[in-house]
Amino acid sequence: MDALILARVQFAANISFHILFPTISIALTWVLLYFKWRHARSADPRWMAAYRFWVKIFALTFAMGVVSGITMSFQFGTNWPGYMEKVGNVAGPLLAYEVLTAFFLEATFLGIMLFGTGRVSDRVHTLATLLVAIGTTLSAFWILALNSWMHTPAGHELVDGVVHARDWGQVVFNPSFPYRLSHMLVASGLTVAFLVSGLSAYRWLRGETTGDAALTLRMGVRLAALLIPLQIFLGDLHGLNTLEHQPAKIAAMEAVWHTGRGVPLVLFAIPDTEARSNRFEIAIPKGASLVLRHDPEAEIAGLDQFEGRHPPVAPLFFGFRLMVGMGMLMLLVSWLGAWKLRGKREPPRWLAHALVAMSFSGWIATLAGWYVTEIGRQPWLVTGILATADAASTVPAASIGLSLAMYLALYAALLTAYVSVLFYLARHPAVAKSPPVPTSAPLTGMS
Amino acid sequence: MDAWLPLIFLVVMGLAMLAYVVLDGYDLGVGILLRRAEDRHKDTLIASIGPFWDANETWLVLGVGILLTAFPRAHGVILGALYLPVALMLVGLILRGVAFDFRVKARAAHKPLWDRAFWAGSLLAAWSQGYMLGMWIVGFERNWATVAFALFIGAALAAGYALLGAGWLIARTEGELQRRAVTWARGALLLTAMGIAAVSIATPLVSESVSARWFAWPRMALLMPIPLATAYLFVRAYSALRTLPRPQDQGRWIPFACAVGIFMLAFAGLVYSAYPYLVMDRITIWDAASAPESLRVILYGALVTLPAIVIYTVISYRVFRGKATELRYY
Repeated sequence: MDALILARVQFAANISFHILFPTISIALTWVLLYFKWRHARSADPRWMAAYRFWVKIFALTFAMGVVSGITMSFQFGTNWPGYMEKVGNVAGPLLAYEVLTAFFLEATFLGIMLFGTGRVSDRVHTLATLLVAIGTTLSAFWILALNSWMHTPAGHELVDGVVHARDWGQVVFNPSFPYRLSHMLVASGLTVAFLVSGLSAYRWLRGETTGDAALTLRMGVRLAALLIPLQIFLGDLHGLNTLEHQPAKIAAMEAVWHTGRGVPLVLFAIPDTEARSNRFEIAIPKGASLVLRHDPEAEIAGLDQFEGRHPPVAPLFFGFRLMVGMGMLMLLVSWLGAWKLRGKREPPRWLAHALVAMSFSGWIATLAGWYVTEIGRQPWLVTGILATADAASTVPAASIGLSLAMYLALYAALLTAYVSVLFYLARHPAVAKSPPVPTSAPLTGMS
Repeated sequence: MDAWLPLIFLVVMGLAMLAYVVLDGYDLGVGILLRRAEDRHKDTLIASIGPFWDANETWLVLGVGILLTAFPRAHGVILGALYLPVALMLVGLILRGVAFDFRVKARAAHKPLWDRAFWAGSLLAAWSQGYMLGMWIVGFERNWATVAFALFIGAALAAGYALLGAGWLIARTEGELQRRAVTWARGALLLTAMGIAAVSIATPLVSESVSARWFAWPRMALLMPIPLATAYLFVRAYSALRTLPRPQDQGRWIPFACAVGIFMLAFAGLVYSAYPYLVMDRITIWDAASAPESLRVILYGALVTLPAIVIYTVISYRVFRGKATELRYY
């Protein structure tokens, strides 16, 4: 295998592993603030118990995100040296602002948020938690600004083949940014909603039917039921925005090989790149025109218009269906759940089992969505400016291969450990709520 | 101002790297010492760095971020040449960072495993950082002598971090653990002194331009304060360690302060040896800098945020001042 393929696989492996954790921690900080707020208002100790349980999961998730994020900060440069050379003048400041405004904020106040009990007042602790939440969200803001700019570059000019920023407002608020940012933030909310309801349902099934688990089960389901229609709406807007700016991506997602009017919506098919058509196609007549243009007779650009410069069809087609399918499942489970839990009703056992099964559904949908959008940008790294192949590393393939094997082994072990620790904590809520670093030799307080 | 931008960014990057080496240095050092600690002390060791390690590590992201954004060409050459040691360091930092959380959340039977991961990750990260420093000094030339030199610097940096870590523990713990930390600090001090002496002798030998910078009259006289001050700090730390811990815990910060001073002086020496090169004798800061308008944008951001970062870092250290105790999640 050549260095380009290896560099891509390695970067994809790292960024896929990394994104799992911010996807949880971004929304989970706000959920933790919500727990604190409910506790302050109601004085119901169960909200504090919920906070104590979930703050541990947050700490673990945050640590996983930080360490895998440090890896990313190195690999931007090592795997894609051509990237910084060509667009460093735009990417550099955006990444620097992420570090300066977000990373330090969240990392520093995380210490006070996690360990500040007894050392700061409750008000200061809430403030620290709020600052961590703002930090995680700001981090998403900057990184999605950069990512969106790579999809739909704006506000720049090319001088001697190098990108120079001309209007930072346009660079940051480029055409796809508002849609991508809101789609991702809501994805984070949904991931957390299903994780919270899933782990809580697991605890509920194990007999914790009166404590904080019953409370958070309900809250998670309701949050999911609230967010999923919003997400479907935002996803549709995002899709329309993509159709306008990256039509080849849409054509590949929908496996539309030929330009035409009244294009059917393909529900299932096996896209055949050789024959440039679909096999075993099941489609709704005029569906794609209706969904994409909101008009059954509208014209849709097919892949024939982008021959030789469109992304691979199969991963986009299936990735998109996986994401949408997961979204539909989320809609079904959360709305059924919200209905079954209305008032003060107890969850039926089948619902609890379904929620446990859906615990990590947000991860699947988020990853599938990111694969669609990122593979959909190919063959470009920055649309129209820099081809992925021109940015690749000059590092020997053997070095990349060796480090890739090392990362993959580590990530597999850590992911297993992470998921099993989450369920371990759910099985041992007493462990989860006890102080995490007890000292056997009693030490005095502040000196 | 544009002509000054590369220099300004070199200063900011240097300060970020120095902050990283000192701050993450002490928590990596505590990780390296974990293996020598009794089981009953391990929680306190880790509690002493708990609220800080994450922010400490962020300085590395800032330092590398500035290298990447302000000096992209040098970043490509440096990190390209150091690809595998960087990967090893990252594996070390990952292991260390997650072990911190896993060791108290996983089942008790797995705790020793995570403790070992914490120690191994800390040592691996420290060693590969030192190895990278060594390779950078020799201009990334790879033969058996330079690799041996870089491996030795790796060991020396690990010892230096252990010295910082032991100094931190002397200041932040008490009782038996504090007494043990004093013993650890003595050993680490010796190793660090040997490491710095070796670097000082070997660096001019491997690089002619470095030797020309140091051993020319009258510069040599003007530069003498650097080695003399370093030697003084070693002696000061050594004499303090002979009497620590003292009644009322007086002088508990002396070893840590001396270690920080030693790192700052070594850093100053390195900067003097290399300036204005980012890659020894090959790429200067002027060759490698990115477009001035982007540097200006970053600089404005840094001027506003860096003071704020310093302020809230100080606040955080004030909140957690005093002896390390049980860490309790809210």
